[in-house]
Amino acid sequence: MTLEPNDPTASGPSFPDAGAAVVLSRNEIESLCAKAARGAGISWGDAEEAGFAAGWLHAHGLDGSSVLLTHLETGAANRPIVGQGHWRPAGAGPLCPIATGATLSDYCTLPEGALGGGGLTVEAVASPVLLLPFLSRNATRLGHGIAVSFPGGAVIVEGAGAIAGDLGLLVAQGTATLLMKPCTSAAAAPHRAPAGCVGTVLARLNRLAMQTTVPPSDRSRGDAGSGTDDND
Amino acid sequence: MTDTTASQLEAPAIGLRPPETVMRLARMGSAHPTRLSFLRVLLRRMRDEGWRFDRPVWEIDGKGVGRAVYRAVGPVRTYSLVAFAHDLPDAMRSDRVIATAWDATFALFDGTPTAADLDRLQANVPLQEAGRISARELSLSRANRSVRLWAHVVESLAAGRQPDPAEIDAVGYLMRTTAVYGSGKFGAADRRDIAERPELQGPFQAEMLSVWLTRQFTVDIVEHLAAAKGGDQAARLAPEIKRRLGVGNSTGLGMAPFLVRHPLLLNNWMAMREAALARVRALTGVGAQAIERLRHAYAQACENAESWHSDHPIQIAKLRDLRDDLARIGARLQSFPGDAAHPWDALWRWGEETLTLEGQEMLFALLIEPHGDLVDDLAAGMSAEEDPAHPINGAMSVASFRAILAQRYAWALAIDFDRPENAARFWYVSEEKLEPRLGERATEAGAEREQPLCTARLVAELHAALAGWPDQRPLAAFLLAHPEHRYMARRVQIAADHPYAEVQDNLIAADMLPIDLMRCKLAFFGASHFDPRSDKWVRISLFQGAPYPLDMQGGAAQ
Repeated sequence: MTLEPNDPTASGPSFPDAGAAVVLSRNEIESLCAKAARGAGISWGDAEEAGFAAGWLHAHGLDGSSVLLTHLETGAANRPIVGQGHWRPAGAGPLCPIATGATLSDYCTLPEGALGGGGLTVEAVASPVLLLPFLSRNATRLGHGIAVSFPGGAVIVEGAGAIAGDLGLLVAQGTATLLMKPCTSAAAAPHRAPAGCVGTVLARLNRLAMQTTVPPSDRSRGDAGSGTDDND
Repeated sequence: MTDTTASQLEAPAIGLRPPETVMRLARMGSAHPTRLSFLRVLLRRMRDEGWRFDRPVWEIDGKGVGRAVYRAVGPVRTYSLVAFAHDLPDAMRSDRVIATAWDATFALFDGTPTAADLDRLQANVPLQEAGRISARELSLSRANRSVRLWAHVVESLAAGRQPDPAEIDAVGYLMRTTAVYGSGKFGAADRRDIAERPELQGPFQAEMLSVWLTRQFTVDIVEHLAAAKGGDQAARLAPEIKRRLGVGNSTGLGMAPFLVRHPLLLNNWMAMREAALARVRALTGVGAQAIERLRHAYAQACENAESWHSDHPIQIAKLRDLRDDLARIGARLQSFPGDAAHPWDALWRWGEETLTLEGQEMLFALLIEPHGDLVDDLAAGMSAEEDPAHPINGAMSVASFRAILAQRYAWALAIDFDRPENAARFWYVSEEKLEPRLGERATEAGAEREQPLCTARLVAELHAALAGWPDQRPLAAFLLAHPEHRYMARRVQIAADHPYAEVQDNLIAADMLPIDLMRCKLAFFGASHFDPRSDKWVRISLFQGAPYPLDMQGGAAQ
């Protein structure tokens, strides 16, 4: 048995097999990704949505933490200007998928979020696969599936979490304009096993997450303790 | 999935106490364990379902180093506590989360572990946060010895004597846990994957089971060491002494933010507790059995108060209040039930007028204790299936949202945050093992990385940002323009349907006591002998006076 003490100055969780596939619980993925998003400068509320989205994607067989890291490191920060049938970035550059996903969720039952008629076009979304968790939530609320098409492919999202279609193509999209429409036919969705994480990705997310923490000091360390000896 | 809220309960004749009474830190910091506490819920289930317990592995050497397995075998599933015992130098013994080695380390395993499972756990569990466990594990924990009592008990038993009861009562446990991690931490099973199991549906049931089995381990290993030292003349712990030993727990600020981070859960815990009180107060009669149980609970409460020691000035004053109040309650019980139409309600109202918060909260526990048939089902409503990002209803109008905010957060809007004492502190997470800490804003670095636990100030800022927004606009439009308020807006919508979701005090005030948050949570666990070591650090005892697993086979205490 080893009783080699860990390094007490070590910061945060370590993933010794960096590079290899690592199995994290969904709770860990959500928590790490929310902290990383906050560390990257996203608001606390949107950071919670980022954690939700990454955890959901892993549970549905897609490597959401890698996609989120790509997004956080490229930093598409545009929020949408919402209009009936058409959303576009408020500034130059693509839309932040977390802000856009959260806004799709907020506008789910409002006219600007309506998918009927010619559908809802959302222009230039960065890392668009990150929208799927939000669309799944909307599908539950609306009681019907949502068909999402993009240049070269299409996927279907259902409320119970089923997803089907050109998922690999969607994951590969750096930035894409999406068209969303209601979908009544049930997707023939095979069961998808949860996706593992990549060690190097986790290490980089962890570095971002550490941006939410405060470096230690003697005062900080001492003030949080018991003030009495533990060898009593 | 259970998400019973106060509004969904049958309305009792006597209403629930309002959140502005219940959700104050001073009252939460006076909480006592009740029959709805999580360890009581666990013990009732194990008894009623006839769970059986054994110890299939005991590979501990004469120095107390090795491994052991304790099994809890239920009607459907088996859980095993895997324990690793270490030889820890005194210099490394620390209860802080920044410790790196412990006297004993544990994992709760889902099923019966094979030798390969034990080897895998042995390579990871002793490292705690630096190791990895898997979805086959439900919790990860560690414990340190009470050095003085440990030595006294081992020496006494080795010499064939029983330990001194006064020494036992002065500490109350042989080992104290310093962290018990569950719910997907460090690779453990996610709550959502096991929450459907009836035995794990309630809050912290896996953690409570782990601690209860740990209590068995602490007495087994101390007897083992005494036998190794004393040979044939060594004694075993007398049952009456063994029963007085619980498992300690030592905890700092790591526990304090939990109640703030889990508003749905906090609401459900509090709402069920309040529902229990309302049901009892609504009773019109008092049966002979209820009186007998009340008197028995009162006697136990007095005994508990007498054996409860603390050197901390805050707790010394609170213990004085409690003992004085228990004397008043004793006198009042002489004339109970009397001729009031609602005798329990009359007793409660008397307490509200007469007793300190310590005494009122003790009276609360006493009132519901005789009424298991009436209140125990409420335990099923105490869990909450939480979403990492609770969906926001963006279609809600700004007017409706403002109305909820004004109603649920009037207490927060009354605070003047321009006064330095009202924003004197900030919650942060340290780089060191991600330990939550509390800093002084005026003199400490790091406030720019403040955690969003300052609910009152966040809601005041949200309220100010809403000024000027037309009533009919949807909340979605406001949040699109103000993502910085999304976090608090979500809480406000949760609070709309969950009146007990928020602690109604300023959590960054200069005079805020973190130990109040901790005592509330620990009382829900079932902790007794709350003993602060500072305003941010506390020791408690769990399972003191309860039966041991190996003595409670098939539901009967032996």
